[in-house]
Amino acid sequence: MKISYNWLKWYIPEIPKAEKVADIFMYHLCEVEGVEKIGEDTVFDLNILPNRAHDLLSHQGIARELASQLGIAYKDPTEMYKIPESKPTKLKIELKTEKCRRYMGRIVRNVKVEPSPDWVKKHLESIGQRSINNIVDATNIVMYDCGQPCHAFDLDKLVSEKIIVRTAKTAEMVELLGSEIIGNVKKSKAVLLSITDMIITDEKNVLAIAGVKGGKIAEVDKNTKNILIEVANFEPISVRKTSKKLGILTDSSKRFENDLSSELASYAMREISGLLVEYGETKFENIVDVYQDKQKEIKLSFSVDRVSKILGITVSLSEIEDIFKRYNFKYKNKAEEFEITIPPMRLDLMIEEDMAEEIGRILGYDKIKPKIPDIDFTPKVNEIHSKIDWARNKLLEDGYSEVMTYTFCEKGEVEVLASASDKKFLRTNLSDGLKESLKLNQLNVPLLEMNEIKIFEIGTVFKKDKEEIYVAYADKKEIKEMSLEKFYESASLQSSGNNFGAFALGDIGQGTHDALNYSPKTSHFMAWSIFPFIVRDIAVWVPVDVSNKEIEKIIKDNVGELVIRGPELFDEFKKDGKISYAFRLVFQSYERTLKDEEVNEIMVKIGHKISENSSWVIR
Amino acid sequence: MDKGNQKGKPACNSYAESIAGREHPLSLLAQEAYKVFSDMGFEIATGPELESEWYNFDVLNVSKDHPVRDMQDTFFIKALPDAFPQVLGSLGPQPQPDHSQKHTGSAFVLRTHTTNVTARAIEKAGKENRLPCAFISIGKVFRNEATDSTHEMQFFQIDGTMIGEDISIADLKGVLTHFYKKMLGDDVEMEFRPSFFPFVEPGLEVWLKFKNRWLEVMGAGMLHPNVLKNVGLDPKKVQGFAFGGGLDRIAMVKWNIPDVRLFYQGDLRLNQF
Repeated sequence: MKISYNWLKWYIPEIPKAEKVADIFMYHLCEVEGVEKIGEDTVFDLNILPNRAHDLLSHQGIARELASQLGIAYKDPTEMYKIPESKPTKLKIELKTEKCRRYMGRIVRNVKVEPSPDWVKKHLESIGQRSINNIVDATNIVMYDCGQPCHAFDLDKLVSEKIIVRTAKTAEMVELLGSEIIGNVKKSKAVLLSITDMIITDEKNVLAIAGVKGGKIAEVDKNTKNILIEVANFEPISVRKTSKKLGILTDSSKRFENDLSSELASYAMREISGLLVEYGETKFENIVDVYQDKQKEIKLSFSVDRVSKILGITVSLSEIEDIFKRYNFKYKNKAEEFEITIPPMRLDLMIEEDMAEEIGRILGYDKIKPKIPDIDFTPKVNEIHSKIDWARNKLLEDGYSEVMTYTFCEKGEVEVLASASDKKFLRTNLSDGLKESLKLNQLNVPLLEMNEIKIFEIGTVFKKDKEEIYVAYADKKEIKEMSLEKFYESASLQSSGNNFGAFALGDIGQGTHDALNYSPKTSHFMAWSIFPFIVRDIAVWVPVDVSNKEIEKIIKDNVGELVIRGPELFDEFKKDGKISYAFRLVFQSYERTLKDEEVNEIMVKIGHKISENSSWVIR
Repeated sequence: MDKGNQKGKPACNSYAESIAGREHPLSLLAQEAYKVFSDMGFEIATGPELESEWYNFDVLNVSKDHPVRDMQDTFFIKALPDAFPQVLGSLGPQPQPDHSQKHTGSAFVLRTHTTNVTARAIEKAGKENRLPCAFISIGKVFRNEATDSTHEMQFFQIDGTMIGEDISIADLKGVLTHFYKKMLGDDVEMEFRPSFFPFVEPGLEVWLKFKNRWLEVMGAGMLHPNVLKNVGLDPKKVQGFAFGGGLDRIAMVKWNIPDVRLFYQGDLRLNQF
């Protein structure tokens, strides 16, 4: 969620510098994905955690949290919004579903739809929102300010002054606000509803999909005179399912999905009414409030001892009291026990462990000193792991190198649903993947410090009746594959007498890797070129007293930068008082495909240099 | 001059027999990780890659309507062959396909984390009266998402837990700090920041500074009492931590490997270490 520093400043006049604020968010609240300076404002992009999305997807929520964390004043905005004089109303609200916990409606007459005042535009723009008109903007300001989505309907477009909240009938349709471009035509979006969707209707038409999006039919436009304000609370799972099913994710649905407090509605109605008062000559009618599922007051008890035990730090009574005072929690305490009344907006606090988190994050996890535990536990050898380890070491020692290939393939016994890839089956063998790997690596032999490609994979395969760990290994002659069990049995039989046979399973837990005298060759990955390489060999007849080093030096001095491997001496033999040295060179560029001609040129140059010595002859 | 071809010739056959093969970097790292945790008294645990929804989600306090259970993140198994479930071992409460969900598959998934192994291990340890206990597992996990240089449909996760009467966040911090210092060097800086995961409370994110960059490397926290109850332990008597994070990620930062997909191409040029 985008949070404006200047907006926060409304509520926290003594707010510290933006950098300090970002640090507090990061260490005591949630991840800060970005901090951006926009004009005279700084905007934080906060990754609000799912368990706090019901109160922190709002500037007020963040401001309350920040002020409490810092122990500085939070200016309660409630008094700021004047309660307008209001008249009796004929508005009727009927809730036909339990999934609407609360519905507050208010008719406001004689509004003038026009551009928003500058401060409204600025606030919306700072958090990346577009200003539409003063009425729609007011509903949005309230949502980004206190977290409660609101909606305004054009009252005169309703068939009567009655709102019904119910579930949709099969195949009921609604035309939504906004439009989408289909081909070259701008079209409003019509949506087909089903019985799981909650909707807002008048006595004839569907006006909105509850908590998700408003409909076209009662849209506020430039001619609107009278409006109906909706401030409601909808059950989260229902909103989420509808929003997901229809593929319509809005700022409103996102908030309802996260289970807003029904208590928030009263404040939001006060705020939006207050904003409309500022717009001028409007006539307010009384609020109709149908609150069928009243949020209950929750009390939570916890012990200081338990919280300390979870955190691994001794938390004192006074530290906890200090936190509760800063956070305005009502509490009682008896000895080491606290009983708190959960603030209505803090629906995430339900169990003792939640209080450990609350206290831990407010104090800061950096206050907890790390320690290495010493527990009375005797680990057993994991047989499967030991066999894998054993098999891997055996194959490595036998000269096989390890590869890993994909579990997904085009054919198999077990299928996954709707994969992002076209490979929807799970492999029934390792050999297919190994075959591909063998082919690839054989092409690359000149690039690898290997004489022959020998590879293996140990991994899970999925057969008709079970998943099982298999071992497969391949060289140029054959691919062999068997279950880990079989491999272990046969290989340990074969190799009895050497090191491997001597291992009893119980002994082969950890650390067999050392047996290979392994020493890492590098600590930094060398990326390889994706372009083809070219191999060239060069062989020279020289008198027997000439060392291969002399020739190697000439090649090195003249080969240039395109060589990625070599010169490597791969053959030497004596005949008739002369000796032949053969070297191999591999050329490859990281930027382009090399041409035969340019490599030929290099080879010709090397040839000339060697031929300068009259007793040396290139074969 | 001999014009070489792409097949190449074996250069010095006589040495071939004595040269050891080269290990995959992820294996190398997994073994180092196992070693570090074994030295701290953890037992190695293993478990199935094809898992029941119970062990992958429900047991871990991930509610039926949690967004991660949506299809775009999880590979649901279409229809598991009849013979299969009997050999998966204990399945937890008999999984029933949930018809309110949009997908029409079985109640089985490819595990999305190795926390299923953690859950199975502590359940078993509880039944065998092996408490306190500590387990570590490294294994392949699967996510149904578009791949790019930092996302793969399959990757490796390292997952661990420790349970006892008074195992705390202080212990979690100690164990993970020790682990990352062993893996990446003593100059690694660690931070534990607030986070949320359904299976832990409090929930933490583990960040480390390596080569001058802060990286999020793990999710961690104290096992949620619901998880302990679900595996048959009494949250009034025992508590413990759990953590999980990508192994591929550690390999990528440790060795500067630029693309996660390189791990699964079967290309031996990767085996450089």
